[in-house]
Amino acid sequence: MIAAQTPILILLAPLFSGILITIFAQKSKNVAFFLLILGMVGSFSAACNVLLQVLQGSGPIHYRLGDWPPPFGIELVIDHLSGMVLFMVSGAALLTAIYSKHTVEVEIPDRIHHYYTLYTLLVSGLLGMVATGDVFNLYVLLEISALSSYALLARGRGLAYIATFKYIIIGTIGASFYLLGVGYLYIKTGTLNMADLSTMLATPEMHQSPSIKIGFIFIILGIWIKMAFFPLQGWLPNAYSCASTTTSCLIAPLMTKVSVYIMIRLMFSVFSADYIFKTLQWQQFMVWMACIAIVVGSVSALAQRNLKRMLCYIVVAEVGYMVGGVWLANSNGFSGAVYHIMSDVMMTLCLFMAVGAVIYKTGETSLEAMRGIFRRMPITAAAFLVGGFSIIGIPPTCGFFSKWYLITGAIETGQFHFVIALLFSSLINAILFFRIIEIGFFSPFDENGHGTHQVIVVNEAPAMMLVPMVISAASLIIIGLYTRFLMSNIVQWTIPVGL
Amino acid sequence: MKRLTLLLTLILGAYLIWSVEDLPEWGDPTSPASTYLSPHYIENIVEETSVPNLVTAILADYRGYDTMFETVVVFCAGLTVLTILRRTERKNKKVSTPRPQREGSDIILQNTARLLIPPMQLFALYVIAHGHHSPGGGFQGGVILGASFILLALSYDLKKTLKRFKESSMLFYSGLGVLIYAGIGVVCLLLGKNFLAYAAWSNFLGITELEAHSHGMLGVEIGVAITVMAIMFSLYADLASGGDLDEGL
Repeated sequence: MIAAQTPILILLAPLFSGILITIFAQKSKNVAFFLLILGMVGSFSAACNVLLQVLQGSGPIHYRLGDWPPPFGIELVIDHLSGMVLFMVSGAALLTAIYSKHTVEVEIPDRIHHYYTLYTLLVSGLLGMVATGDVFNLYVLLEISALSSYALLARGRGLAYIATFKYIIIGTIGASFYLLGVGYLYIKTGTLNMADLSTMLATPEMHQSPSIKIGFIFIILGIWIKMAFFPLQGWLPNAYSCASTTTSCLIAPLMTKVSVYIMIRLMFSVFSADYIFKTLQWQQFMVWMACIAIVVGSVSALAQRNLKRMLCYIVVAEVGYMVGGVWLANSNGFSGAVYHIMSDVMMTLCLFMAVGAVIYKTGETSLEAMRGIFRRMPITAAAFLVGGFSIIGIPPTCGFFSKWYLITGAIETGQFHFVIALLFSSLINAILFFRIIEIGFFSPFDENGHGTHQVIVVNEAPAMMLVPMVISAASLIIIGLYTRFLMSNIVQWTIPVGL
Repeated sequence: MKRLTLLLTLILGAYLIWSVEDLPEWGDPTSPASTYLSPHYIENIVEETSVPNLVTAILADYRGYDTMFETVVVFCAGLTVLTILRRTERKNKKVSTPRPQREGSDIILQNTARLLIPPMQLFALYVIAHGHHSPGGGFQGGVILGASFILLALSYDLKKTLKRFKESSMLFYSGLGVLIYAGIGVVCLLLGKNFLAYAAWSNFLGITELEAHSHGMLGVEIGVAITVMAIMFSLYADLASGGDLDEGL
């Protein structure tokens, strides 16, 4: 009985922990933290269970809410793709929750329970968006995750309020575009269920209908705003880099990746590969846009002196990888994009956690904070290195394999500009990270030390921060080593019909 | 750049207007939206849920999962405003913009409010409880309840109202409403049905499954109303006092 109910438990665990934090944890931050961890553990274990069920079972799991059959009620649909993304999102949220214990106490000393409530609401919103099989329900959960992310981002440093205000305006426009698009689809079909929509949209007259095209454009534009795809990425670097450490560890890896997931879900589960690649035929243009996103993101990252801003621009470039991979319109490119969702969650999580630990210990946010890092904080530095190597794409980290698949896909379709953009971005990332390694190893610790005789005390971050960081770094290598297993057991099953 | 934006907007606007041709006529009874799902709802809703108000039945039963998250949106919006505006020890140093101070008290206003508030609250309860049969429901009733507290704060002052409805209890009630809604769903789950399948309550309450749908909807509407009431007043209190919760309009 419990096994049949696990899909909904993934969302209910964080939701309930959030409500209980508001009601019972107004006085004690330890109770709030305990409830937060409890919710995240519950959600993660349910997600593991569901993923195992999907892997063992024969098809996607359908969960009817309120026992109503699908076109009348709402259903959750968990297949290989959403099962994998649910696993990654709940896992990353759990790791960040453990990590947050120290950073939140320093950065958000008052009203921690509100912060944690918003944290759980954001996580349940993201998980709900991934699990749902209903386009309007997706919008409701999009609202929750957006609202809570505004509040979380606003509790940052410096210009956080202004950056968040810009994000609110742009994000709201994105959400309303999505809703308008759903409205167009509803007018033409009369249904909101994804599976139902896809059968109705498969007819030739629907393929030619301008309203459906407008609906698609609105929806995809709204999602691109949410995922900060070039040229709609303007809000991201400011909003994410002004945020507090925990917030950026939570939001930066998850928001963009969940948006990419939604793009894939809507492109192939609501519309079809046939419609997108044969009727619309945007793939050439889209791959060029992805190339520009990658180049712009990478070059802007190179220009930054602030660690977090640098990572934010890397996120922008990584979004280009995934969008490009999906729009290559062949199975290798698609596999690369899906595999990259998985690895990119962990890469960005690992890097943001490592940088967060450095900021927590030194109080500095510029590249200079990394001076002497390999002696002062050896474990953090190692995690940072693994994350950096993965972003560059050095085997055996998973970054190498996702690039491998993306490049293979690009060569197969003859889109060599995408290959060049990927290699260019790798090169830039190599410069970025080796520059930091140089600062870490060779930059003198202070003016008096002359670089050789000073005594450097090991001053490592607390264990609660190190453990999640090391797990995320280790997972990069593990995902890389098990690439073949993941490809044949998960990614291969996600390739839509017609690719 | 501005001209380019204008040009782009005009082109896209023209395209949108041109494509209206493709949409069904306004109020067309043969359009997909009114022929696909609507007939099923219109014909079967009373047999399936025993609630004559179609809007309430779709909102609170067929798509009850959406409505639960809409309540969470309200809850989240209240928390967001509170998080951003509310003064904290760290923010205290910053200078706040001066607000007009209230002077004296207005006896006509206060007595009118005293007369008005009890019927308002009673009417709100009616709207909540009668949502199944007539226009109304948790969101509307909750707003009226919240408005009665706002009226109290407007005619007396914020401090006096906050003594009756403290900030901690606002938070408690806003969470409680969502808890009631989600809790009703979870009980269904524990009784062996899916989440929010109100029919599961029938054995527990000793009623038929149809009645259980109706009672379940009433339960979730009450939850919605409690959250909306608390958040309405919390939004007013935070916005009117700039996050200080001392004096306001």
